[in-house]
Amino acid sequence: MPLRPGRVGRVGVIGAPVAKTAVVARAVTPGPAPIAKTAVVAAAVTPGRGRRRI
Amino acid sequence: MTNTTTEAATQGTDLDSLGPVDYIVVEFPAGASNFTGEMAKELIRLVDAGTIRLIDVLILTKDADGSIEAAELSDSEDLGELRKLESQLAELLAAEDVAHLAAAMEPGTTAGVLIWENLWAAPFASAARRSGGQLIANGRIPIQAIIASIEADERSTNGGD
Repeated sequence: MPLRPGRVGRVGVIGAPVAKTAVVARAVTPGPAPIAKTAVVAAAVTPGRGRRRI
Repeated sequence: MTNTTTEAATQGTDLDSLGPVDYIVVEFPAGASNFTGEMAKELIRLVDAGTIRLIDVLILTKDADGSIEAAELSDSEDLGELRKLESQLAELLAAEDVAHLAAAMEPGTTAGVLIWENLWAAPFASAARRSGGQLIANGRIPIQAIIASIEADERSTNGGD
């Protein structure tokens, strides 16, 4: 199915080829089970929890 | 994009009150798609709640040989509840965008491309602009990056590698 004529010949809004978001490689890295990671991430974004070292 | 489409898309939209515009490409590997209507239902819920304004939708297919085929939402035979959103879309994406977006796809997959305005963020963005602020950076933090950071912290704390 062709694109609508209005899409052809215009300058695009996505500036460059898009790279696949690198989620799979890390997600399958050996380590704690995903459910455990979920709990850790949830704790890390909990209000009042500080881990910043600048 | 035709002038009519552009006008329709921006009708009633003051540039100063425009919210941030985002896009996603959601890939469905061959044989792994399971369209139950759940995605459409959630999308409509976000639009109806005024959380987002859907700007553009394309369905891309990448063949095994890497060739790309793009379809408009209106090309779908069974739009269902999405029909009411389809009539409000603007043709923001150009043909050259299709090639750029499809670069992320694996051969033999289908992907949905969504472009939307974050209406929920518009009032804050407007307030920032009226206050003299200029957006100089934005982005998204993948959950995997947070996990990696936490794990690095733990290794550091435990004196590991």
